[in-house]
Amino acid sequence: MKLVQGTAPVKVASRRVTFAHLRDREEWLGPLMIAPAILYIVLVVGFPFFLAIYYSFSDITLGSRSLGFVGLKNFAAVFGNTNFRTALWNTFVFAVGSQLLVLVLANMLALALLKDFRGKWFFRLLILLPWVAPISLGTIGWLWILDSTYSVINWTLQALRIIGPKARLIWLGVPYLAMGSIITVHVWRLLPLATVIILAGLSSIPRDIHDAAQVDGASFWRHYFQITMPLLLPVAMVALLFGVVFAFTDMTVIYVLTRGGPYDTTQVLASLAFFTGVVGGDTAEGAAISLYLFPLLLAVAIAFLRIARRSEVT
Amino acid sequence: MQKKQRLISRREVIKAGALAAGIGPAIIIPGRARAAKKTLKILQWVHFVPVYDEWFNKKYVKEWGDKNDTEVTVDNIGIAGLSARAAGEISAQKGHDLFLFNWPPPIYEEQVVDMKDVYEECQRKHGKPIDLAIKSTYNPKTKKYFGFSPSFTPDPVNYRQDLFGQVGMPTGPKSWDDVRTAGKQIKQKTGIPVGIGLAQEIDTGMAMRTIMYAFGAGEQDANGNIALNSKQTLESVKFVKALFEETMTPEVFSWDASSNNRAMIAGQISLALNAISITRTAEKDKPDISKQIQLTKALAGPVRAIGLEHVMDVYTIWKFAENIEGAKKFLVDYVTNFRQGFIAGEFYDFPCFPSTVPDLKKLIANDPKAHPADKYKVLEDVLEWATNVGYPGYSNAAIDEIFQTWVINVMFAKAAAGKATPEEAIKEAEAASKRIFEKWKAKGLV
Repeated sequence: MKLVQGTAPVKVASRRVTFAHLRDREEWLGPLMIAPAILYIVLVVGFPFFLAIYYSFSDITLGSRSLGFVGLKNFAAVFGNTNFRTALWNTFVFAVGSQLLVLVLANMLALALLKDFRGKWFFRLLILLPWVAPISLGTIGWLWILDSTYSVINWTLQALRIIGPKARLIWLGVPYLAMGSIITVHVWRLLPLATVIILAGLSSIPRDIHDAAQVDGASFWRHYFQITMPLLLPVAMVALLFGVVFAFTDMTVIYVLTRGGPYDTTQVLASLAFFTGVVGGDTAEGAAISLYLFPLLLAVAIAFLRIARRSEVT
Repeated sequence: MQKKQRLISRREVIKAGALAAGIGPAIIIPGRARAAKKTLKILQWVHFVPVYDEWFNKKYVKEWGDKNDTEVTVDNIGIAGLSARAAGEISAQKGHDLFLFNWPPPIYEEQVVDMKDVYEECQRKHGKPIDLAIKSTYNPKTKKYFGFSPSFTPDPVNYRQDLFGQVGMPTGPKSWDDVRTAGKQIKQKTGIPVGIGLAQEIDTGMAMRTIMYAFGAGEQDANGNIALNSKQTLESVKFVKALFEETMTPEVFSWDASSNNRAMIAGQISLALNAISITRTAEKDKPDISKQIQLTKALAGPVRAIGLEHVMDVYTIWKFAENIEGAKKFLVDYVTNFRQGFIAGEFYDFPCFPSTVPDLKKLIANDPKAHPADKYKVLEDVLEWATNVGYPGYSNAAIDEIFQTWVINVMFAKAAAGKATPEEAIKEAEAASKRIFEKWKAKGLV
């Protein structure tokens, strides 16, 4: 009896010690803390991704549960399709065009927001708004702005007498205007994120480096190209990587604004995959279209991250 | 004491236990006891005529549920979200008992139950359905009804009477040549163009097929063989190119499904092909322009006068649905009571079983909301000139993918915009169509 009474507190105490000990051991605590994030990525990103790979080598349709292995047939079939080649080209135009603009504009905005001026918080709020608002709602707003009948841009241009009273620019009906429109809306959407990332990078550059250059009489451009840009490169690469992946894989803007029109001139791989796989019912071919650029994106991601790591200043 | 103990035998204890097990949950969890009541879950679009949803969701299904001891729930989602939702339900093998598509959905054939018995029961009660319903829901290859269509929406020509009156056509165009000649004169005189979409959206898909079929062309023949590359298709593409150049503006390349509605009500186009949603909206929002917008029947082409359905209501029942029998009964009863739906929907949906609305002609010939009251009278013989996507064949899986991936829309648009010659545009569309047909043939659905 005595023995039992005496050992119980010892056991509880040893359990407490063990837990406290585990809690303080980094090799346990680290994995424990990161486990939910890894689980989330595995379930929400990893599982669908490997499922898509599996589907792309099969003959599955939306209406069938059985699937047979067909090898590379789907990849060969889509490449022989004119629509696919058009979409491939459009994807590059859309991604490269939008990312160039995002990089330039985000740099300009971040440099401006680094300065102190009255109402800075208000401008920061305005710039962040497109990122905070749901993308589908924001794009529907743009649909109205670019509408062929009620375009507020056309109304303004008419009021300013830049175009005639009966003239109308068909923003989503002429190929180059439509591509310009979707790039503009995509830039509007991604600019806040890129600006915030670059702003964080700019804030982390030690002030004394700029001060020393100032003493040596360096101009703005010299400051920018020889100090700011090299030190900003790791952060800018991350922003660019985010942007490139978004531009190559997202279809919200295109789906809402043009659905790939006029006559497929704004069709990108992501929207073509959706129309083929989900709306058209050919899941296997849709999966193949969506995975076509995966090797390229993987290579781009590795290259960007290596550049970012090499240019890190320690 | 001993005697009493003997009275309770082991068998009685088991009986009592079984009884307690049976009644217990009902006492402890009353909700679970009520769950024995049948349920029926319906998913359908947000109707273009909001009062229809009011009638269907709040009145009809409630009354039907009370009569059939079933708890009916209706979920309404936008038409654009139906495909993704169907894909989700199939993937999860769980969802609604009744799923309404607004177009023929043959690609889901393996996932749905055969509706043959529903058609047979409705035919026994109400006579034969129209050919359009069968062509939109039957697969002759597999001999299966992959859906059931109680109704469809006509796609008449909406025209501005005042503008066509100015060029000597006060009763509107009667043929596609009339649209071309009068449309050109109206555009020259007033600057107002014809408004037939050439974009990647449903109304364009319907309008372009209407012209193709009127010219004797089609994506396939009556036996389901691809027939796109023909002299008739070439003539139809050349006609649309001329129609665009002479009567329209590039804004038709940018349209979505509601753009022609907005443009017509804003007074910016002289003619459109659409359901009666244009006139119904105008009656409520712009009574003045409503008086000028009139309807006319299918326009004649070189071969025939033919029109398409604008919306084909096709109910499907998943194989994994929980209440298949209830869903089938609901459909049979819905068809029996369709006259109520016809009136609630303000004549938007027409019956696929004509005898269910015996006074249809009388109803549409005298509508107090219309200007004039007999505006919708032109639709009285729509059952004779409305046809299905894929005419003269059936709406099969290949036809569906060709429709959903805008192959025909792009063919006409490229030729009209001058980005390809009519011959090149047809050749490209034919290659895409052949590939799609071969694919679905290999899967055994075509």
